[in-house]
Amino acid sequence: MDMNFNQHISQQFNADLEAIRNQMLSMGGLVERQVSDAIEAICSGDTSSADKIIQREDDVDDMEVNIDQECTHILVRRQPAASDLRMVLAVSRVVRDLERIGDEATKIAIHALEVANGSQASSKICHQAIRHMGTAVVKMISDALDAFARHDIGGAIEVVRNDKMVDDQYASAIRELITYMMEDPRSIGQAINILWILRAIERIGDHARNISEQVIYLVSGTDVRHSSLSEMEEQTQSDL
Amino acid sequence: MQLIENHKTTGIPLSPKAKLSARNVDVFYGDKQAIHDVSLDIGENEVIALIGPSGCGKSTFLRTLNRMNDTIDICNIKGEILLDNENIYDPKVDTVPLRARVGMVFQKPNPFPKSIYDNVAYGPRIHGLAQSRVELDETVEKSLQRAGLWNEVKDRLHAPGTGLSGGQQQRLCIARTIAVDPEVILMDEPCSALDPIATAKIEELIDDLREKYTIAIVTHSMQQAARVSQRTAYFHLGQLIEVNPTDQVFTTPQHELTEAYITGRFG
Amino acid sequence: MTNSKATNSKTSTEATTMTTTNLTTREKVELSLARRRAAETRFRLYGMVSVFFGMLCLVVLFTDIASKGTSVFKQTSLTTEITLDSGYLGINKDSSIEDIRFANFEGLIKRHFAKSVKPKGRKAKRELFKLISPGAAWQLQELVLANPTAIDSTVTIELLMDDDVDQWFKHDFGNDVVDNGRLSEQQLAWLMTWIEEGQLDSHFNTLFFTNGDSREPELAGIHGAIKGTLLTLMVTLILSFPIGVAAAIYLEEFAPRNRITEIVEININNLAAVPSIIFGLLGMAIFINIFGVARSTPLLGGLVLTLMTLPTIIISARAAIKAVPPSIREAAYGLGASKNQVVFHHVLPLAMPGMLTGTILGMAQALGETAPLLMIGMVAFVVDVPGFINDPSTVLPVQIFLWSDSPERAFLERTSGAILVLLSFLVVMNTTAVILRRRLERRW
Repeated sequence: MDMNFNQHISQQFNADLEAIRNQMLSMGGLVERQVSDAIEAICSGDTSSADKIIQREDDVDDMEVNIDQECTHILVRRQPAASDLRMVLAVSRVVRDLERIGDEATKIAIHALEVANGSQASSKICHQAIRHMGTAVVKMISDALDAFARHDIGGAIEVVRNDKMVDDQYASAIRELITYMMEDPRSIGQAINILWILRAIERIGDHARNISEQVIYLVSGTDVRHSSLSEMEEQTQSDL
Repeated sequence: MQLIENHKTTGIPLSPKAKLSARNVDVFYGDKQAIHDVSLDIGENEVIALIGPSGCGKSTFLRTLNRMNDTIDICNIKGEILLDNENIYDPKVDTVPLRARVGMVFQKPNPFPKSIYDNVAYGPRIHGLAQSRVELDETVEKSLQRAGLWNEVKDRLHAPGTGLSGGQQQRLCIARTIAVDPEVILMDEPCSALDPIATAKIEELIDDLREKYTIAIVTHSMQQAARVSQRTAYFHLGQLIEVNPTDQVFTTPQHELTEAYITGRFG
Repeated sequence: MTNSKATNSKTSTEATTMTTTNLTTREKVELSLARRRAAETRFRLYGMVSVFFGMLCLVVLFTDIASKGTSVFKQTSLTTEITLDSGYLGINKDSSIEDIRFANFEGLIKRHFAKSVKPKGRKAKRELFKLISPGAAWQLQELVLANPTAIDSTVTIELLMDDDVDQWFKHDFGNDVVDNGRLSEQQLAWLMTWIEEGQLDSHFNTLFFTNGDSREPELAGIHGAIKGTLLTLMVTLILSFPIGVAAAIYLEEFAPRNRITEIVEININNLAAVPSIIFGLLGMAIFINIFGVARSTPLLGGLVLTLMTLPTIIISARAAIKAVPPSIREAAYGLGASKNQVVFHHVLPLAMPGMLTGTILGMAQALGETAPLLMIGMVAFVVDVPGFINDPSTVLPVQIFLWSDSPERAFLERTSGAILVLLSFLVVMNTTAVILRRRLERRW
């Protein structure tokens, strides 16, 4: 075969698909930065950077709307099939997850401000866990996006695996937080803020997992949402 | 572009409820081979869509299914085509009753230059299906009703069939085909000459007809294949590349050629 | 801008020669447009000139024929009262037909005119009797045969005049003609008397349509030729249409595509181009010498013309069959119609208008054919009107050919008259072809 199957007959279709993919990846980059900045804001207690995060949230929302609109355009004008259809659907879903991640990052920033304005004594509770989980989810987001860009099922499954670890860390951080609250009821106010932050980080992990699931759908066509890691590995065996 | 060596059809070409089965069919036009070793089952009460780029042999294959290629002298067929497990290419088989069992609808609406009534009544008449005038009237009415044309033409049954619109003509041709009560209906791009509304009506009709008949449809419109069929077969240069449930073909085709064709990367 | 424009216009001729290559596409198109328009106009002009020339030839031909031929529809006769003297004729009311036929009506007429005009001397008598056609006696005989009771009574009858009188009266009388042709002074004087008395006049010429050929121009008619033509064409049609259509259907629908059919096809096409006289020779050799068909009969003529028209009919019928859209055949085959059903239910009805048109045009061609018929003896002088296809006869074009050879001025007129009749036959046939095609094609 001397034909190039990577190119559509319609150059514009190529360009359109490439465009939504690139916009999604740059939105991913922005969201990733939002999350890492938010984690940094808590750890350093830097309120100005937390404000910036809240402002940038609008940009993330705009990007979601724009990309989704372009997906709709492609659906209407090109009636994509097979891998093209999966690409458009996956981008549309990933964008939703990215927007949610953006929301979570904003939540973290809001709670970071509250933590910074609250009592200094208990402001450092669970910092270790937050930093740890935060770094993990930031890496998960970037890994999931990389896997998307490279059509890499192995990388996607790795992200799912990491999500499990983040969930475990979240459980132990909650236990640690409960201990704090039992020891010193005055710290409960701060602890609840920290709880919300931990919860948000854990949700970000879940969203990163969703993104990886879309990578699997994009590449293999199997919908692995709501299935366990082992099921996922089994279903994607042939595509690895 | 060249043939794939040692190709074996991807997907599920066979069916447990096969009505019409092709086994290792080769078709030659003189020295040129148009179909290469195609094996495919068409299941009872299913609509199978045959898609592929122009000249891929899908129409040729469809025409082998009721021996329409017999009228072309240089056309030669190897392999077997079984209708209810009987080879239709057996020398003992007569094409006349065969074509009554396996009807055909063509690309261009081709009503006879006769009245609407006579168009539909022609098949029953030549096959002696109606014993009386009343019975014939009933057959005509039933066929037109099933083709969704009755209400539009009941007041002008004796007007010429060629005076109808394109879509009505095509439905008249379908009515004419089902008037002889076939078991299988072959459709060769039945909507290619029609506007979208007429196309939608035909597609709706195909969906209704599935309850009673087995239908094979050749189409250039992938959206149409996706809309009307349960299974889709992809032909490429006379080879049957892939057969799978339609949903699967249009979301996750197995063969790279199928993928390339339906995503518009060639063809 | 204005400045550059000014310079441009100043050096425009120079500029166009220099910058033809630098012209924009639109300018190039406009340049070529004038040339193309001129070519178009020229071509249209050529077409109009040739059409005009063709029409002119036709008009000249028709006016010539019509001007010479229309006078044939008038015939000069002398109205006179004559007593059917039973004593002179030797017959009475009860005489047999045989006796009436042998009665001397010619003598009676001569006696009548000898009495009424009173010519002096034998020479004058002979000149007087020359004015009356030999057909006059025959007219009287017919009258008596139709009504024997008229014997011994005095009847008023329009006696047929000789062709010389007819021609003189129709063409020269009243004009300042110096040469009075074959009529003497004495004869002219008698004629003038009759004209003054209102006896000599011209009436519609029914004899032209009811008589067969004759040596006497005033008695010669085309009835025999028309009847012969119709019988010949009937034989041709009955033979060539079914054979031609059947051959066309077989070749087009059933014949296997091989060398033999190819040779047959080529030969049919060649036959259409064979000079018609060859068919005459062929007919003579085969039908007369081998099968012993009687010469000069419509049957033989029809057979020969069948040979000649068959290729035309087969070719046009095949073209008509080929023109039936394949989609109709496919539709019928798809319903399970057999080959015969497809051909006879669908192909044939749709091809019929074309076939009929071809047949009628072939018939029109046969109608005008002379050469092959000359070869098979249909050129003979046949006075009797043929009753059936095995009676000797002639046909219109051959009749025209025969008359055109005769020296009498009256035959020239009859030639043109017969041509007019032949042409109107052709027009009727071609019109029928057109109407038939339109009528049948409406079903399409």
